[in-house]
Amino acid sequence: MTVTQSSSPANSGVAPGRGRRLLSSFRVLFDRPVTAFGTSIFLLFLFLAVAGPWLAPYGSNEQIYSDARQPPSLAHWFGTDQLGRDVFSRILYGSREVLFEAGLGTLMALFLGMTLGLIAGYRRGWIDELLMRFFDSLLALPALLLALLLLGTIGRSRYSVLIVIVIVYTPIIARVARSVVLSVREKAFVEAAQIQGESSLHIMFREILPSVMPALTVEGALRFSYAIFLVASLGFLGVGVQPPSPNWGLLVSEARPHAAQLPWSLFFPAAAIALVVIGVNLMADGIKRILMGER
Amino acid sequence: MSDSPPVLDITSLTVAYENEDVWQTAVRDLDLRIEAGQTYGLVGESGSGKTTVALAVMRYLGSSGRIVSGSILFNGLDMVALKEEELRGVWGKEIALVPQNPQSALNPSMRVGEQIAEILRRHAGLDRREAMARAEELLCMVRVPDPQRVLHSYTHQISGGMQQRVLIAMALSTEPALLILDEPTTGLDVTTQAAILDLFREITAERQTAVLYVTHNLGVVSALCDRVAVLYAGELVEDARVGELFHFPYHPYTEGLLDSIPQIGQKKTEAILHAIPGQIPPLGERLEVCVFAPRCALAIEECSTQRPDLETAASDHQVRCYRWREISRGEITTHQSAPDLIPVQSPGDGETVLLTEDLKVYYGLRRSLTEMLRRQPGRVVKAVDGVDLTLGKARTLGIVGESGSGKTTLARAVVGLAEKTDGEIQLLDMQLPAGLSSRTLDTLRHVQYVFQNPDDALNPHMTIGQTLQRPFISLLGMSSKEAAGQVSEMLRIVRLPKSYADRYPNQLSGGEKQRVAIARAFATSPDLLIADEPVSALDVSVQASILNLLNDLQNETRNSLILISHDLAVVGYLADQVAVMYLGQIMEISDAARIFEAPMHPYTEALLAAIPTIDPDSAVSHQEPLQGDVPSQIDPPSGCPFHPRCPRDLGDICRTEEPVWQENEFGDRIYCHIPLGELQSVQQMLKEA
Amino acid sequence: MLGTRFPIHNKRLVGLLILLIFSLLIVSCGGTTQESTSEDVAQPAEAETSGSAEVESAEEPSAPAVDGGTLRVAMQPIVNIDPIAISSDSEVLVANHVYDYLIDIDAQSKIVPRLATKWSTADGGLTYVFQLADGVKWHDGSDFSAADVVWTFERLRSTEGTPTADLYNNIASIEQTGDLEVTFKLSEPNSFFLYDLSDNHALILKEGTEDAHTNFNGTGPFKVENYSPEDRISLVANEDYFIEGQPKLDGIDIIFFNDDSAAVDALTGGQIDLAMRMPTALFQTLEETPGIRTFSIPTNGFDLVRLRSDREPGNNPLVIQALKLATDREAIFNVVQQGYGALGNDTPIGPLYGDYFDPSIAPLERDVETARALLADAGYDENNPLSLTLHTPDTGGRPDLAAVLKEQWAEAGVEIEISVEPESVYYGDDGWLEVDLGITGWGSRPYPQFYLDTMLVSDAKWNESHFSDEEFDQLAAEAAKTLDDGRRVSLYRQMERILVDRGPILVPYFFAQFAAINDQFTGLDLKAFAGRTDLREVGLSGS
Repeated sequence: MTVTQSSSPANSGVAPGRGRRLLSSFRVLFDRPVTAFGTSIFLLFLFLAVAGPWLAPYGSNEQIYSDARQPPSLAHWFGTDQLGRDVFSRILYGSREVLFEAGLGTLMALFLGMTLGLIAGYRRGWIDELLMRFFDSLLALPALLLALLLLGTIGRSRYSVLIVIVIVYTPIIARVARSVVLSVREKAFVEAAQIQGESSLHIMFREILPSVMPALTVEGALRFSYAIFLVASLGFLGVGVQPPSPNWGLLVSEARPHAAQLPWSLFFPAAAIALVVIGVNLMADGIKRILMGER
Repeated sequence: MSDSPPVLDITSLTVAYENEDVWQTAVRDLDLRIEAGQTYGLVGESGSGKTTVALAVMRYLGSSGRIVSGSILFNGLDMVALKEEELRGVWGKEIALVPQNPQSALNPSMRVGEQIAEILRRHAGLDRREAMARAEELLCMVRVPDPQRVLHSYTHQISGGMQQRVLIAMALSTEPALLILDEPTTGLDVTTQAAILDLFREITAERQTAVLYVTHNLGVVSALCDRVAVLYAGELVEDARVGELFHFPYHPYTEGLLDSIPQIGQKKTEAILHAIPGQIPPLGERLEVCVFAPRCALAIEECSTQRPDLETAASDHQVRCYRWREISRGEITTHQSAPDLIPVQSPGDGETVLLTEDLKVYYGLRRSLTEMLRRQPGRVVKAVDGVDLTLGKARTLGIVGESGSGKTTLARAVVGLAEKTDGEIQLLDMQLPAGLSSRTLDTLRHVQYVFQNPDDALNPHMTIGQTLQRPFISLLGMSSKEAAGQVSEMLRIVRLPKSYADRYPNQLSGGEKQRVAIARAFATSPDLLIADEPVSALDVSVQASILNLLNDLQNETRNSLILISHDLAVVGYLADQVAVMYLGQIMEISDAARIFEAPMHPYTEALLAAIPTIDPDSAVSHQEPLQGDVPSQIDPPSGCPFHPRCPRDLGDICRTEEPVWQENEFGDRIYCHIPLGELQSVQQMLKEA
Repeated sequence: MLGTRFPIHNKRLVGLLILLIFSLLIVSCGGTTQESTSEDVAQPAEAETSGSAEVESAEEPSAPAVDGGTLRVAMQPIVNIDPIAISSDSEVLVANHVYDYLIDIDAQSKIVPRLATKWSTADGGLTYVFQLADGVKWHDGSDFSAADVVWTFERLRSTEGTPTADLYNNIASIEQTGDLEVTFKLSEPNSFFLYDLSDNHALILKEGTEDAHTNFNGTGPFKVENYSPEDRISLVANEDYFIEGQPKLDGIDIIFFNDDSAAVDALTGGQIDLAMRMPTALFQTLEETPGIRTFSIPTNGFDLVRLRSDREPGNNPLVIQALKLATDREAIFNVVQQGYGALGNDTPIGPLYGDYFDPSIAPLERDVETARALLADAGYDENNPLSLTLHTPDTGGRPDLAAVLKEQWAEAGVEIEISVEPESVYYGDDGWLEVDLGITGWGSRPYPQFYLDTMLVSDAKWNESHFSDEEFDQLAAEAAKTLDDGRRVSLYRQMERILVDRGPILVPYFFAQFAAINDQFTGLDLKAFAGRTDLREVGLSGS
């Protein structure tokens, strides 16, 4: 084997594609203590989200008045809120909402952003200008502000928050994809494909896209953590979610007036938010190390 | 040999690098001595460790490298033991380094003059005014025209050749005892390189500087160095005076290396090039045996069991091989393994495959704001400025030129990657439209392309098999099953094992990747193959095999070949006809056999004169190296584009009128005002001299 | 090597951890935005007040108040201090102590004298004659007379666009019939005329006052010493106040606080002495704080849960009944209101109204089974569940109430989707009058007729439940006119029964009004509308 090495994203640290190698690189996620921590947190909450309904000892809005306002105990691990609802169960149900909404939204943003970024980066010209200027204007606004504006326009429906996540995060993902495309499209193998008469579609999605995937994956993981926070923030502001939704942000906001007397009803949802966001963020960092090589 | 101690005395130097917690030896047990006034060449391919040696001497290895053992004495000073503050006193002052890439070695945010002055003020204690004055002197010394302008310019405002001269000036400013040059002319045009080499010769002779010249280019070594040490895979395998080494190499590797490099005048019709099979072992896979044994045609059992010592073959000739005696006596040689094969070349049958007429490729530059305000039309880069070419079936056309000549643009225009602005391109019987998107699939399969950099030419995320299937699917309309069936055959043609089909490009060597690229190009059996610098990015020992491959394939499929290179020897070897380009136009297009023996156009002459050959006995060219730099394509000179630099400039006519095409009895054409007869007689004169 | 392994290299981790710690600190220290007692910005209520059934009564019968001291009161900033325009608690509190009412309403909703000492009615309730107190002086030294009263009420009833213009539109004439006597003539009898005369705006101004907004010339127990709109308004005792022994305090400082939690903090910190608005949770904390005396009195304000009864599904009495049966009012009262205030019985006539309130009407026992059966009869079951959107503003205890109702009704098979909206959205464009199911907060009023006339009769301006019952309308109309107290009581009780039987409204509880005072002071007379609280008898505890 030759010692030729290149640190461009197209020639990333991991030899591409083979399933077995990918699995072993998955183990690399547990290599460093920090990354292992993050990945474990994420997996734990993923498990909780999936298994939530079966694991939860109480219903999400189940009100047992006689148990109201209890600090953590054996019967209620995280205590109860002012209406007698089990905080632990609410957090379990809430994890579904938060993770799936954020996850699905991020995935959709990834697809949309990837496609738009590919088109803009490969075709260049007016479509590139148009898309990028449009995305620039969206990116100029802080995510939360943009989300609020969008929700104000879209109105409230089941899918509002999902649509908002897609709109908020597509621009940055498209940007990332586009920048990789710009560097890859100059490479000889792309020109070779052009000379072979490959269609633009083939070149974008079969030749260039695999080189874009590492950067996109990293960006996607990172956006996922921000999306979780966005969903919780919107819940906190009471926008796009209604009681008695167990959205963690809403839990925090509902617990605020009672914070002095029922601190556990505030602490646990807030801790859940922080933990998941940090965990996913660290995991994204680990993914970045795998895919983009050590720096 | 002088009696004074050597300026640089390296003994048993071993350097290792850390790679993922494992230390791998990069240089093993090296001995080297350089005297004052001596220019010592350190030659090797990629992975040989030559740059590592240079860095180790400077103690500049970085955190991942370490001098494991051995000593480096500089004028008696133990370099290994020095601490960082002490080293700083030595760097730049006593030992100077001229690195490979001038663009990145110079500070982009400081003016040139300030950078030179900085060194002088630091090491020589001059004040600002004195330093600037001295800087100007230095620039004159390195033959920079208009030194004042250069002093006040920023790095990006001066050309590559100029930048390198500045670096040399900076290196020499403190009159160091030892000058280390790391591939300083890579990336420079041949003519510029020639001028710089001349400069080195002059200056180092004058000051008795000891010079360590690290390079892979044997021609340069031959031109410049007194002694040369050959490194292979981190070990010194042979060390001798230059003349001795090139005429009487004792080590199989040296022999093989010399054989594999095409020389000017060597032709494919005479013999195939001899490549060294295999490739250099990577770090970490080098065992305690003769490191060259796996590739050596002369290896015996001892070679694979124990590492040979460095033996003294003659006074100042050392070699690390068990069989050097036999080699020195001529009893064995690497040449002998197979009889020379002279490949069969049937003449082409006259059918024209490619015809270009007044082909132009212009790029418009975006107008700057000032230009727009002043209503000036946008500037135009005239990359290709009217080229007429004819190429017959099964014939090879070589195109040579320096940077800015337009040769690559021309090739890209033919294949469609660049859009022609004007003129005709006719392929077989088809008129080719400008861009790829306007060309039909049917058109595309007749002309294919091999790129310069094999690392970039293959999609890193597709297996070799998948890459090879694509042209069958897209250009020949096969299904993926059918295409898959073709893959083994393609691999066979380029002499790669079938198992490679499942490998990824990063598992292949540079040479192997280029073979795959060639296989891909041949998938549709194109009538015309364009190879743009196909071997420049490869190691010297691998180049030969690729050139042989191109030749063989052409014999089998009878395709026409356009070969582009800056390396005249490579072109000369493979081409039937050679076109010399300058600033977007062809200056001369002649038969390959004749063009190097009796070049007619002044530019062709200059090019040839600038190339350092490996024949150290050849007389130094009488010609002055070409002055100046290649002008910009945006604003080419009027009349004959070459006239500002032409040593035979006729005066006004060359400046005001475009030259005419003149043809000799053989069909060679040149583009010059000087009458043919005169040029020919000058040639005659030079040959006799 | 080592440097790259340790997570300090990962600045993001550290940053996020710090952020987590900070956010926890901030959030747990912070005050609240949701209060269980808050101003209803909406039209129906001027100020929402709450009271608890267990009246921790206003007055401690122990040591009498001693003269002296300056009481610092925390209130929301005042905007408009001209009596004709005041509306908030703080504005009324200031005006109430700088001016006087003709007659006042006490903590038990009884009419008591103030500037008027005696009064009588004639002509079947069409004529009212008032005798005024003697020796009353304006702050500027001039004498008070009946002319001032006449001028004040003329202004109130004739100034366009004011709430009082509407209120007093059945007054035929106002006359000064003596130096200290005023006669009102009505065009129609009005059982509650005296209450109307003690409307929050009806403070008596000196005849001809031009700029009541900046010129604070009243007869009241305190004079304005200093007013800085960003900070506080300082009142100083009126030595010449016409009631002997009042005021006891030397002065009152009304300090402006935007945030109720901050006010409570200031109280416990000793920067203020009296706070009258706070969330239930903080009140509970104050109850346990030494040095602070807490008060909570029931009010007549309530949260109304109403189903629109003029169209599907609310037009089906079975549905109405089912929902009422599925509701556990006592649990709601305990969980949402923490037991403060009073338990409700689906009518706006609460226990604070004394006789009007019929204690014999048994509150509905929760019966989920019957509720299900009723719904089944109405055509709703598992496959076709009753499904409604419950709209509610985002203030007070209403979101919690909604969450509780959703859960309780779910047991009867009703599917509720909650829509919490900002008040501007809930009340905007009169949307609250259109939705099928909503929760609206109603503020405390001194007499229940107001609710009947504005909320429950067929053509009522704010009949959000679109209730239309002929019998009910007749009873209400009669109650408005009759001067016979006994008859009125009977009428009200009949109406209560109608509402409990078939009214499309749920009133689970009545609010409590909270106050907390530094126990240096005593004599606080807390009223359901906090601004009307009388500080004239407040003084130092003396011990």
